Amino acid sequence: MSDHPSQPSRRDVLRGALATGASLTLAGSLSSCGSRDDVARVAGGDQWRQFKGATLNFISENTAPTAAIAANLRPFTDLTGINVNIVTLELTALVQRVALDLASGRAQYQVVYADPYQVLAPYQRGLVDLRSLQADPNLPDLPLGLTDFIPTQLDAAGKFVEPAPVYALPYDAPTMIWQYRRDLFDKYRDRMTNDLGFDPRPSGDRTWEEYFRIAQWFNKNAKSDVAYGTGHQGRQHDSLMNDFSNVLWSYGGDYFDNGKEVGRMGSRSPGPCRIDSAAAITGAEFYNRLLGIADPASKTWDWDGLGAAFRAGRLAMCPNWHEYAASNEEVLPGKVDYSPLPKGPGGTANMYGGTGVAISGNTMPNERGAAWLFIVWATSPQTQLANLKSKAGGGTPTRTSVYELPEVRAAEKRPSSMPNMLTAAAVRQAWQPDKIGLRPKIPMWNECNTAIFTQLSRMLTGSVPPEEAMRSIKERVDQIVERGWVA
Amino acid sequence: MAHAADSSPVLRQAARPQSSAPKEPRVGFEGRMMTPGLILLAALSIVPFLALIAMSFSRVLLLGGVRLEVIGITNWVRFFTDADMWMSWLRTIIYFVLTVGLEMALGVGIALCLYRVLRGRNILLSLLLLPMFAAPVIVGLLGRYLTDSTFGLYAWVLRSLGYTGDILGSPVSAFAAVVLMDVWEWTPLIALITLAGLSSVPQSVREAAAVDGAPAWMTLRYIIFPAIANVLLVALLIRSMDAIRYFDIIWVTTNGGPADATKIVPIRLYETAFRFFDLGYAAAIGLAMLAFSIFIARTFVRLLDTRGLTR
Repeated sequence: MSDHPSQPSRRDVLRGALATGASLTLAGSLSSCGSRDDVARVAGGDQWRQFKGATLNFISENTAPTAAIAANLRPFTDLTGINVNIVTLELTALVQRVALDLASGRAQYQVVYADPYQVLAPYQRGLVDLRSLQADPNLPDLPLGLTDFIPTQLDAAGKFVEPAPVYALPYDAPTMIWQYRRDLFDKYRDRMTNDLGFDPRPSGDRTWEEYFRIAQWFNKNAKSDVAYGTGHQGRQHDSLMNDFSNVLWSYGGDYFDNGKEVGRMGSRSPGPCRIDSAAAITGAEFYNRLLGIADPASKTWDWDGLGAAFRAGRLAMCPNWHEYAASNEEVLPGKVDYSPLPKGPGGTANMYGGTGVAISGNTMPNERGAAWLFIVWATSPQTQLANLKSKAGGGTPTRTSVYELPEVRAAEKRPSSMPNMLTAAAVRQAWQPDKIGLRPKIPMWNECNTAIFTQLSRMLTGSVPPEEAMRSIKERVDQIVERGWVA
Repeated sequence: MAHAADSSPVLRQAARPQSSAPKEPRVGFEGRMMTPGLILLAALSIVPFLALIAMSFSRVLLLGGVRLEVIGITNWVRFFTDADMWMSWLRTIIYFVLTVGLEMALGVGIALCLYRVLRGRNILLSLLLLPMFAAPVIVGLLGRYLTDSTFGLYAWVLRSLGYTGDILGSPVSAFAAVVLMDVWEWTPLIALITLAGLSSVPQSVREAAAVDGAPAWMTLRYIIFPAIANVLLVALLIRSMDAIRYFDIIWVTTNGGPADATKIVPIRLYETAFRFFDLGYAAAIGLAMLAFSIFIARTFVRLLDTRGLTR
């Protein structure tokens, strides 16, 4: 036996450090996942004030409706005594936060802006089926019920695969429509009619070929007014897929078999991709040709860049989200008008980009009740009307009853105190079931979308011809779908 | 033939360890002092590293708490057979060579010029260093703004010079733009380090070269560069480590486009991890990036080591 106390070896120290480090990490994780208290509930009395004192966190994309809600929260707090913190982020960042929050098992964000394609479809199991709250006699009813929401929007933004469960209430409804400089169309209408051989006035009856010829006419004949006839959101980004899909569907192409249903209700396994069909390739060839005469900067613009360029007077027309109407009216008052997008051999399609508000499945019972009060209030007809009037932003309503209000009807014409309503005639048509454009609502859409807009970007830069781009998309999407999705 | 001292039985006996002598502790006082640091290192680096290895062999499930579902080498097979990923590696290497090469060439050039300036050097140096103090994401936003075809200054200048395209709209110009943005930001760092190195070149040696009539290029080649080579190597190491991780400017300006022309490996890693939430595959990419970084770092450290600069 040695006279000296045994000394730990270097290996022992390292092993000990690793074990202690692991323990610290684990302890840290556990303490952060520790239990927390549910909000207090006051039984009886006013249903709207039963969660008085609670605090909710609402995570949302930085959209106009949320800007309006954030500026107008006081009535909700006065009504319920609940405080709401709103975190607004760019959509990609929002999806990350929501996914990590759902993974954490806690609900740091009780109310979630649930994009149907990036949140609802992949993480539907992490969201509350709102029917349970709607049926709870202790909680206030949804004013005018679910049937007041525009049906295509309720299905697209609120449901996933099964027709009955509702995971989100339609909250905003941006839809791509044809935005054009009315002043320039008025100015050149006769000349264009003579030169082109048809009345160029934008409407749902115009075809994409006519749109192309109108753009080309502006390129040649109206340089003093605008730099280019048309501009597009062709950046390697979600925006490119949106812009292209309008043309794809109009030419009779689609991403999957039974595309309307996959878009409206969604699917967990949509089957093989069909974007290499003859119709899709024809649509891609047209789109490539159209972008060839569009403003060259189109390849760098997403929707915001395109909107800014249109308002800067660079373009005579463009397809863009209808909620830009308020900004257009501010910069070019009385000069912009709206129409559904042109049609192709397969009809017309107007990309819908609406989103719902949902409740995280990690919420505790009373917290969930408080969150229900907020989403009921945020999507109520009164709040949607207030949002329309808001100076801070405001989208367009998702409820049919709001569109029927006399003051809203009156705002569809200039002078309008609710400039987004200037698009009402166009979007009312665009939201019809046969005209609404719904991208595939599948859990793995994010990755498919990236494959789609990347290959489209290669097509637009001349790296590959349209046919090869479509085949390349099909190959990649099939691989992604085959891998499946496990959240 | 053995050395006399080695063969001496007396010396051999003295060199032999005495069994009764006290045994030296393998981890002494220094080791115990290092223990808290090692524990912290384990918590911050070693445990996440081991978790990353485990993730790369698993499918990571998020909902209801993070769980790993072991899938063997599937992620690694995918990594080695993913053609898009190899293209990203190729772009990363081209990007790496271009940015680091340009920064070194320009930085050294600027430092040599600045070293000859006697009056106003401090003001010039302050102006030169300004880009380095901007966060990369701000440089990206600035670059995007300046190249915007609607209101960008550079776009306007290029248009007035007859350039009709869009800088960020075509693969080659977009790639060149993001390379130049990085070069703009980090060339000053190389210039600064080189300038510090130049200050250490003995004045007497340079004067001797001048007296001997050595032309400028010979002075550079045989006196200045050998004297600052070690400093340049350190600068190269610092920039190389940064260039491998380049992310912010591309993310803000081109998002990896157009046509994937600027999608280097860090962008693809971010996309896989935080857009697709394919964390298992992302772990495999991350580990490969780590291996590449270590390879680059080791190469430079070995070079420094041969020059005796790591001791």
